[in-house]
Amino acid sequence: MGRFIFWRLIHGLIVILGVTVIVFVVTRMVGDPVQVMLPMESTLEQRAAFEKKLGLDRPIFIQFIDFVEDISRLDFGDSLWQHRPAMEIVFEKLPMTILLTVVGIGFACIIAIPLGIIAALRPGGIADRVTVFGSLLGLSVPQFWLGLLFIVLFAVQFRILPTSGSATPSHIILPALTLALPTLARLVMLVRSSMIDELNQQYVKTSFAKGLPFVRVVGVHALRNAALPIMTLVGWEAIRALAGYSVVVETVFAWPGIGLTAIQAIEREDLILVQAIVFTAAISVVLINIAMDFIYKFIDPRLKLI
Amino acid sequence: MKKYGLVLLATLLTLTLISTSAWSASDSIVIALGSEPTTLDPQIREDGGERAVNDNIYDTVLTRTPMGDLVPSLATAMPTLVDSTTWEIKLRPGIKFHNGETMNADAVVYSIKRVIDPDFNSEQISFFSTIKDASMVDDLTLHVSTNGSDPILPSRLYWLKVVPPVHSKDPKFAEKPVGTGPYQIVNWKRGQSIELKRNDSYWGTKPSVKSVQYRFIEEPGTRLAGLMAGEFDLITNLLPEFTKQVPKSVHILGLEHPILILNSDKGVTKDVRVRQALNYAVDKEALAKGLFEGYAQVAQGQLLSPSFFGYNDKVKAYPYDVAKAKKLIKEAGAEGATVELIGTSGRWLKDRDLVETVAAYWTKIGLKVDVRIFEFSEYLNRLFDRKTRADSIFVAASNELLDADKTFSAYYKKGGIGSSNTDEKLAGLIDQARSEIDVTNRLALYHQAVKLAYDQAYFVWLLNIEDVYGLSKRLDWAGRVDARLLVQEMKVR
Repeated sequence: MGRFIFWRLIHGLIVILGVTVIVFVVTRMVGDPVQVMLPMESTLEQRAAFEKKLGLDRPIFIQFIDFVEDISRLDFGDSLWQHRPAMEIVFEKLPMTILLTVVGIGFACIIAIPLGIIAALRPGGIADRVTVFGSLLGLSVPQFWLGLLFIVLFAVQFRILPTSGSATPSHIILPALTLALPTLARLVMLVRSSMIDELNQQYVKTSFAKGLPFVRVVGVHALRNAALPIMTLVGWEAIRALAGYSVVVETVFAWPGIGLTAIQAIEREDLILVQAIVFTAAISVVLINIAMDFIYKFIDPRLKLI
Repeated sequence: MKKYGLVLLATLLTLTLISTSAWSASDSIVIALGSEPTTLDPQIREDGGERAVNDNIYDTVLTRTPMGDLVPSLATAMPTLVDSTTWEIKLRPGIKFHNGETMNADAVVYSIKRVIDPDFNSEQISFFSTIKDASMVDDLTLHVSTNGSDPILPSRLYWLKVVPPVHSKDPKFAEKPVGTGPYQIVNWKRGQSIELKRNDSYWGTKPSVKSVQYRFIEEPGTRLAGLMAGEFDLITNLLPEFTKQVPKSVHILGLEHPILILNSDKGVTKDVRVRQALNYAVDKEALAKGLFEGYAQVAQGQLLSPSFFGYNDKVKAYPYDVAKAKKLIKEAGAEGATVELIGTSGRWLKDRDLVETVAAYWTKIGLKVDVRIFEFSEYLNRLFDRKTRADSIFVAASNELLDADKTFSAYYKKGGIGSSNTDEKLAGLIDQARSEIDVTNRLALYHQAVKLAYDQAYFVWLLNIEDVYGLSKRLDWAGRVDARLLVQEMKVR
């Protein structure tokens, strides 16, 4: 087990380093924070002074050496836009995104697993067809549009939920639903197909034959065996939500998380903050992957972790 | 089934209670801003969100009426000149900061020195770059000295927020702002909201709105939905298309002027006849109506609004005249020539649409137009490129000082950051006006500069955009030409 963790961490480190180096190079190639941040009519002298202040007038490899030093201390420096440590901003916003992801993915699992099982019990039946149709619909709707649709429906028309923000628990409902829908749709399909496979296995027939209760056969024995692919997908979806969907959903609902902050940092050419966010996202991806490996082992003790 | 129905109903009712409790008070309002302030220190950043909030917490030495005229605020009268580089300001007695500190000459001198200090590194320095020093004369009188004479100093003082000398040294000052203004801070929940309450011992007219909450919503569609759901009382930058959907909208001529900068030194636009033809070719009225639903005025042949100092009301927009444009192009022998047109997308309201429509108009008079839309940062590289100037570059210039000097120095004057002409005479007029203290003479110089640039057609002047705000039914507010959101001017019905 110790060896396993060691190698996974080494792999993770390589991924994280690779990502940050790419971000360092790309952000410096495509944009110039000096031009975007100063007022349009600023003079050339004012621009030069500002560039010097940011340290962007130095040769790129010197900046890179500084950058590597900073990373090793987990200190990316001050955000160019907010003028406080970039990691401080990340740690302030990250919990909001994690909360949204957990609620969203949790919601998707709670709905998708029973729905998938019901559909699998009678492939081709009415429940199955409705579920498949529904999940195709869910997959086809763009999240951006879906979010706005929810706002118009539940906040503007019925006025039962707030349009945006994060002040009360009711504020999380619409963004979490929006975040959950594509995950839910994919998950339903997967639960359905893996359960159909399992329910056709000999051991299921045997269990029924020896008189085990229906709920125990389907909900415990079959589901547990179908759980591996399902967990893989849930982990993958959590990664996508944390490091991808959150950008869209948080922007639409003004949810003060890391996704919205990423968009704002990019708009303002805040290289430092973008680096800190990408670095954090890379770490989250690696950590979720390692966690998934442990969950596999827990679900199926026969698996060998290498 | 019935049982579940009741559960659902109960849930919905609870949610409704939770979600409505926050904004029920009748004399408190909610304003949705596009971005959250990064700090509430009023002197360090160039940040629209910060300004929107702090304009209500802090007072300035001079202020502007909603129509843009400079009037005294913390001062008792307009500043007077002692000699050509020294201004004298007399302050109102008996004004206190929210924390009890006294507002006097010492506080104003301190505020000036704080913002111009190179070590303080304020992003607002371009507003105060001419100020050399400030000194106290007596408790309520101070002198401000400038590098060379600076006739715009009064306009600059409208940007100078007066901070308390003691409290501003507190490290928490950036989160707990203390001013002399009509509102004071209650709390700032980062990522969520800022709340202000009325300063009941305010020295000026007592505002009617008791408290104000600011929310930060980047996405315009969400801001609009929040207004329509009754969560917000005021939203900024409402798209012209939506003015009919919202409960109420106000519009007022703003500070933004989309123009095209023409290269008068090289290429096809070197010929003045071509530049004039490019002006005649564009139907500005149609742009205002078609793209902005009428929420824009035709720019009168100058990069100035009527409320700006320097506006020349004798100069009128080039009329829409295709025949004349074609004739000029023919005379210049430029038929079929290619004009490069640089623009960007998504930075300013309808920027891309404007560029593409103008290109279509130019094509109509027999030119080929090479439209190139760049991502903003790359676009800025072209706009500020001092070595090679494109034939024509789109820009929406904004002028917060409401004075010709700022935009003329940047775009009209030879060597300016976005200028494409090398007209010595024009540059001379602008330089002269910059240090001319006599108001009448200064105005005359700008009138000449406007006329000269107009005759030479150094630009295609397009429009002057109106600011459009969405309001809730209960809020009364008329807007301001300087786009400030002063809550003291708002009323709740």
